[in-house]
Amino acid sequence: MTSHTYDFARKDLLSLLGWPLLPVACFALFMHLGAALPLLPKPRPTLDIDHTLLIQKIEASRARQDAPILLLGDSSCLMDVAARPLSDALRRRALNLGTLSYLDLNAAAALLREYTAANPGQLRLVVLLLHPEALRRIAPEAYHVELLQALLSGRERVPLPGARESLASLLGLDLFRGRLLCRFLPTPLPGAYGRYYGFSADLEHSLTERQGTAVDPDSQPFQGNAEYRLAQPFQAASKAFRSALPQGVRLLVGITPAPEGFVSPTHREVCGQMLAQWSQWLQADAALTELPFTLPDHLFARTTHLNEAGARLYTEILARSLEPHLR
Amino acid sequence: MLFNSDVFLKFFAAFLLLFWLVRNHLAARNVLVVAASYLFYGWWDWRFLSLLFISSAVDYGVGLALSRTDAPRPRRLWLLLSIALSLSLLGFFKYFDFFAESLAAVLGRLHLPFHPRTLGVILPIGISFYTFQTMSYVIDVYRRQIPATRSFINFLAYVSFFPQLVAGPIERAGHLLPQFEGARSITRPMLEEGLWLMLWGMFKKVVLADNFAPLADLVYQGHTFSGPTVALGTLAFGFQIYCDFSGYSDIARGTARVLGFDIMVNFNLPYAATNVRDFWRRWHISLSRWILDYIFIPLQVQWQRWRFLGTAAALVVTFLASGLWHGAAWNFVLWGLWHGLGLTVHRIVCPTPNAERQTSTSVKTLSWAATMAFVFYGWLLFRARSLEQIVAMTRALGDFSRPAWTTSFVINLLAFAAPLVLMEIWQARARNPLAPLSLPPWARATLQGLLLLAIVLFWENDKVPFIYFQF
Repeated sequence: MTSHTYDFARKDLLSLLGWPLLPVACFALFMHLGAALPLLPKPRPTLDIDHTLLIQKIEASRARQDAPILLLGDSSCLMDVAARPLSDALRRRALNLGTLSYLDLNAAAALLREYTAANPGQLRLVVLLLHPEALRRIAPEAYHVELLQALLSGRERVPLPGARESLASLLGLDLFRGRLLCRFLPTPLPGAYGRYYGFSADLEHSLTERQGTAVDPDSQPFQGNAEYRLAQPFQAASKAFRSALPQGVRLLVGITPAPEGFVSPTHREVCGQMLAQWSQWLQADAALTELPFTLPDHLFARTTHLNEAGARLYTEILARSLEPHLR
Repeated sequence: MLFNSDVFLKFFAAFLLLFWLVRNHLAARNVLVVAASYLFYGWWDWRFLSLLFISSAVDYGVGLALSRTDAPRPRRLWLLLSIALSLSLLGFFKYFDFFAESLAAVLGRLHLPFHPRTLGVILPIGISFYTFQTMSYVIDVYRRQIPATRSFINFLAYVSFFPQLVAGPIERAGHLLPQFEGARSITRPMLEEGLWLMLWGMFKKVVLADNFAPLADLVYQGHTFSGPTVALGTLAFGFQIYCDFSGYSDIARGTARVLGFDIMVNFNLPYAATNVRDFWRRWHISLSRWILDYIFIPLQVQWQRWRFLGTAAALVVTFLASGLWHGAAWNFVLWGLWHGLGLTVHRIVCPTPNAERQTSTSVKTLSWAATMAFVFYGWLLFRARSLEQIVAMTRALGDFSRPAWTTSFVINLLAFAAPLVLMEIWQARARNPLAPLSLPPWARATLQGLLLLAIVLFWENDKVPFIYFQF
C-alpha cells in the first residue's frame, strides 16, 4: 500500500531550496568585495574578553596618550597595577598596556613600538612586570600570537578550524561580524566578567577609564605547580624586547606576587634569582627588588591575579619603588 | 539529539532519503518512523528508550483492554492502572527527590531530623511530554472519544514521532494517530510551509533565544539587583523562553509538514494577549488544552456545587499541577499558583467571554500592559534560582539605580527583539501566521536567505539546549 506521495515537481523543490541561496551568494560577494576594495571598515572583532582586551590595548598604544610611564607585561600587570592611582601617586600619567599571559615579550615589544611611534619623545620609563607563571612559559600560545598580529595589521581574526567556521568565512559572515556587527552590538561577557563589566563595550570603557587596568572579578581557588623557574627562551625574547626600547628610556623590571599560602618556602629566594637573571638578559636599568614576591592570600583573585584590594596595595608599593627612578 | 545541531541535520537528511525509499510501503514507513524516533531519542541516552517503550506498550495494552469490555468497573480499573503507572513514572523520575528533600526541610524546621535517601536519578528528556500524550490516549479511549488502535507500530509511532517527542506539542491521539494509518500526500504548499516553519523556528532558537540567554543570565546569575536590572533581565528571559520554545515547536511542525504530517499549533502570538485567559489560549496551547480537558473540567464538574469557589479552586489546583509539570521546584509551584490566582481574579472581573470583548481600545491597551506585567512577573518566578532570589529581586524593583552596562543591554535587547516583534506585528495584521509565504517569490527568497545567513552566523559549536527539554 502506498505510504505517501510527492505531489510536486522536481523543479518546485529546486526553486524552493535554490532561490534563497541567491541572496546568500550576493551577500557573500558583497562582503568579500567590500573587504578587498576596501569599502568596509577595518576589523574590530570584540567577540570576547581576549579580543576586546587586545583591541583596546592596540588602540590605546596607537592613540596620543601623554603618558611618560608605560606598564607592560602579562595579565598580572594588567590586573595588579592600577594605573590611575599610580599616576596620581607619581604625579605623572601612567598607561597600563599589560595584556595576557598567553603572549610573550615580543607582544609587549610590538605594543611598545606602536606607542613610541604614536607618542614620539614622550616616554621616560617602561616598567615590565611578569608573573612567575609567565616566566616559566616556554612559548606563547600560537593562536593568541596570530590574533595579535592580525589585529595589529588590520587583517581578519585567525580562523578556527571547523566546517561551520569555513562556511561562515566563505559566506563573508566573519567579515560582517568582525567589521560591522561588533561595532554596534556589544557582546555580553560570560560568568563573573559579565556580572562585573557587563558587555565588551563596557569592558573597553572601563579599561580606558582606568588607563588600561582591569579588575579580575573571577575568584578561583589557587591551583597549579608552585615550582617556578626562568625558561631559557626568555633570553632571546628579552633581547628582542630591549631592541624595541627607544634610546633614553629607562627600563625597570619586576616580578608580580604570588599567594603566600600557595608558593614553596623558597619562593622569594627563587624569584630573587630569576629577577636578577632576567634583568641581566634585558639589560634593564634596574630590577624592582623592593616589590614583594608574595602577598597574603586574601589579596588574590586567583594564583596569578590580585583582587581589587590587593591591586590597590600593590600599586602603592610600586609607586614608592618607582619614585626614585623618576627624579 | 538537538534540532540545532550538525548531527540532526545529517540525521534528517538520511531520514528523508529513507523516507523516499519506503514511499510505496505504508508499514515500512511507520517502522522507519519508529526506528528513527528511537534513534533520535536514544542519541541522548539509550538506557531511557526502555522507559519510552514500556510506557507506550502498557498504554497500548490498556487501550486494547478498554476496547474489549463495556463493563464500567473493569474499564475504570484499567484506566486507573494506566494513570497510576504513568504518574508513578513521572513521580519516580521527576518528583521523588524534590518531595523527599522538601519533606526533610519542613521536618527540619520542626526540629524533627529526617534524612531521606534521594535517588539522584537523571530526568529522562521529554518524559512529561510523552507521558501526557499516552495518558491522553487512554483517557480518550476510556471516554470513547476515539477507538483504540490495533496496530502497535502505529501507536509507537504516535508516541515517539521524533519531531515532537521531547518537547511537544503534546499531540492528541485523535489528531495524530490516524495520520499514521493512511497514505499521506506531500504537496508544494506543504513543502513551502514546512521549510518556512523550520527556517523561522531555527532562527528563533539559534539567533534570538540563544542571544537572549546570556542577557537573562547576566541578571539572574548575579547576586545584586536593582529595578532596571530585574526588569531588563526578566524581559530578556521572557523573550528567550518564548523564542526557545516556540522555535522548537515551529521546527517540529515544519519537520512534520515536509513529511506530510500535521502537528498542532502550539503558540499564537502570546505576547499580544490582553488578559490572562487570553494568554493561556495562546501560550503552550497543547498543554493548556490538556490540563483544561483532563484536570480543570473534571475538577470543575466535581466541585460545581460550590459555584464560583469550586471554579476558583479548580483553576488554582489545575495551575499548581501545571507548575509542577514544568519542574520539581518550588519556584515552578509558585509560578503555577501565580497564574491560577490570576485566572481566578480574571474570572471575577470578566465572568463571561462577552465581557472581554466589550471594551474600548484604551481599556484593551491598558489591559494588555497589565497582562504583560503579570506574565513577566510570572517569568521572574519561573526563572529564579531560589525563593531567596525571588524575594531579593522583588524587593529590588523599588530601587531605580542603573548599572553601567544598561545601554549595552538595551541595545542587545532591542536588536534581537526587533525581528520577532516586526514579524509578529505582520502576522497579527495579516491574521495569518504564514504571512511571509504570501510575499512575491523574490522577496520571500531574500527573507529566507537573510534568515539562513543569520542562522549560520550565530550557529555555535557549544549548543544551548532547549529550555523545555528539562521538563
